[in-house]
Amino acid sequence: MNVYFIKDQDFNSFVAKMMESKKVVGPVTKKSKFVFAALEAPEQLRLDYDVTILPPKKEFFPTCQSLMKFQGNHCEGCINPEEKIILGVHFYDVKAIDMTDLLFREKNEDWNYLANREAATIIASNIQNVSSRAFFASVGKEVTPKGHDAFLTKLKSGYLFETLTAKGENLVKFGKFESASDGQKQEARSVNDVPLKKCAEALKHSSKEIAGKVRKSFANESFWNEAAKDCFSCGSCNIVCPTCYCFDVQDDWNLDQASGMRTRYWDGCLTEDFACISLGAGAVENFREHRGERFRHRIMRKAAYLNEKLGGPACVGCGRCSSACTPNIADPVNVINKLMEA
Amino acid sequence: MTCNCCSSNDTNDTKIFDSKNLFLPKETKIVKVIQSTQLERHFTLRLADGGKMKFYPGQILEVSLHGYGEIPIGLASSPTRENTFDIVIRSTGRVSTAINQLKEGDSLFIRGPLGHGFDLPVLRNNNILIVAGGIGLCPTRSLIQYIMDRRSEFKRFSLFYGSRDPSQQMFLDDLSNWRGSADVEFHETVDKGDATWKGNVGVITTLFKKANIAPDTKVIICGPPVMFKFVIKELDSVGISHKNIFVDLERRMKCGLGKCGHCQINDKYVCVDGPVFTYSDIENLEEAL
Repeated sequence: MNVYFIKDQDFNSFVAKMMESKKVVGPVTKKSKFVFAALEAPEQLRLDYDVTILPPKKEFFPTCQSLMKFQGNHCEGCINPEEKIILGVHFYDVKAIDMTDLLFREKNEDWNYLANREAATIIASNIQNVSSRAFFASVGKEVTPKGHDAFLTKLKSGYLFETLTAKGENLVKFGKFESASDGQKQEARSVNDVPLKKCAEALKHSSKEIAGKVRKSFANESFWNEAAKDCFSCGSCNIVCPTCYCFDVQDDWNLDQASGMRTRYWDGCLTEDFACISLGAGAVENFREHRGERFRHRIMRKAAYLNEKLGGPACVGCGRCSSACTPNIADPVNVINKLMEA
Repeated sequence: MTCNCCSSNDTNDTKIFDSKNLFLPKETKIVKVIQSTQLERHFTLRLADGGKMKFYPGQILEVSLHGYGEIPIGLASSPTRENTFDIVIRSTGRVSTAINQLKEGDSLFIRGPLGHGFDLPVLRNNNILIVAGGIGLCPTRSLIQYIMDRRSEFKRFSLFYGSRDPSQQMFLDDLSNWRGSADVEFHETVDKGDATWKGNVGVITTLFKKANIAPDTKVIICGPPVMFKFVIKELDSVGISHKNIFVDLERRMKCGLGKCGHCQINDKYVCVDGPVFTYSDIENLEEAL
């Protein structure tokens, strides 16, 4: 749509005006790390963050979400989206949100997610600092980030603000914007190229080569068992992943024992009972009983299973799983590069 | 092709109930309950609003009880029957045990029908063999009833049913009817007999010796996971093409909508791509069988 410029000294006022209009969620500090949280003051915003602990998907797909409330035999849905602006989303998380949009929309539209998503305005921002485990420059290069409403780039003396949708354009009224000059647009292009050269880790092959080799490795049990031998099956890699969207559904009674909620909770395919069913009389069948099988399933899902649907791998290179993994075995770069050489 | 029983195209594309919120269940009333075995209860349900549910044999429901949760259950009756439908619940966990406390007139909640059932146009005008082990008889009963109700649309119909022991046999009235029926060649076995049992003893594959199955037969298999490989081995020796074998699979499911990930096998979801699969489509999918 349009490309604007806003001076540094006018930026906090822009954020403050947006906060007056609706909830604004952005990266803020939490001890030594960063999280997406509702802003209480524009000064809290840390657009220089490297990566957040959890991805912004929690704004549309909360860690626990009521699907239905019941009272006796009566039940009703809980879809009640809140209008919000999510400010400062890095491009890898934009790609991930676009993937979960597609996955929650395809075949059966899940409005418990989609209503939240449609109520959100997403302002992406350039990556000012690169996490030590990130590899976004080398993964899914064929997938274009899309679905965001505006893109903010930090320049020397202010910000370039590119609007991409009507929702994005609608934000311009909150700030003292002017049309961006060709020089500022050129500066933004250079700024956005920088993080791509700063990833410490990199996949060495194309998505297509990786998908083919990963799929063929299914029967290589010794590789997967070795890769997973230190896995605690804790599911941390799943929980921090921006493209993981598996969930469990549980009922809970209220204190009155007459009413309650049906709630979905994030779940993870690395956990032991994820694919386990009860056969009765104490017998169970676990379709992915061994940790090697579960570890393999995660890598297959990231690198191969969903590629056709998504147009690329279901991994965006944020590096969160690598950081979250206690025994430090979840890093897709290590696993995939090793597999490609096997 | 049109399906008269459900006044709908025979394309297995029935929609679930509430398109605005796919997780919102619909109320049913329990019309009848039969204690099938020590662990299993057979429920006949009707929609509380008096409507008739459109479904296909082999489709599944997410069955729930408020405050306890939801479980995936195969429909155990044919849409050719009355305005009611059947399910069988085995007490295995919190939800199923709570459901099995219910009595006639109580409410039970469902979402569905979900998934792809048996491909009726492919099965019609063919010889059919159904191999059902244990509670695998429940989802296949939806097809058995369908074939029996529209017998002229199918050629030779054989049914193998295996149970762990005589006390585990279900649908006793049906078994009694099938034993004497000219419409189905019914063969049954138990892994372990007792003093009253006069029939075949042995695993389900021992029944192949008793029935001369033709190589062009369409075969449906449903049973415990361990059963599939052995039955398919027998079918290979008969010379049945893998394109003519249909397997009804069971997995953990939480949504029934292809989202929650629990039932995923490679890039397929049992809840939306199945639960009935053509064996040739999944025989090379690791983790399927």
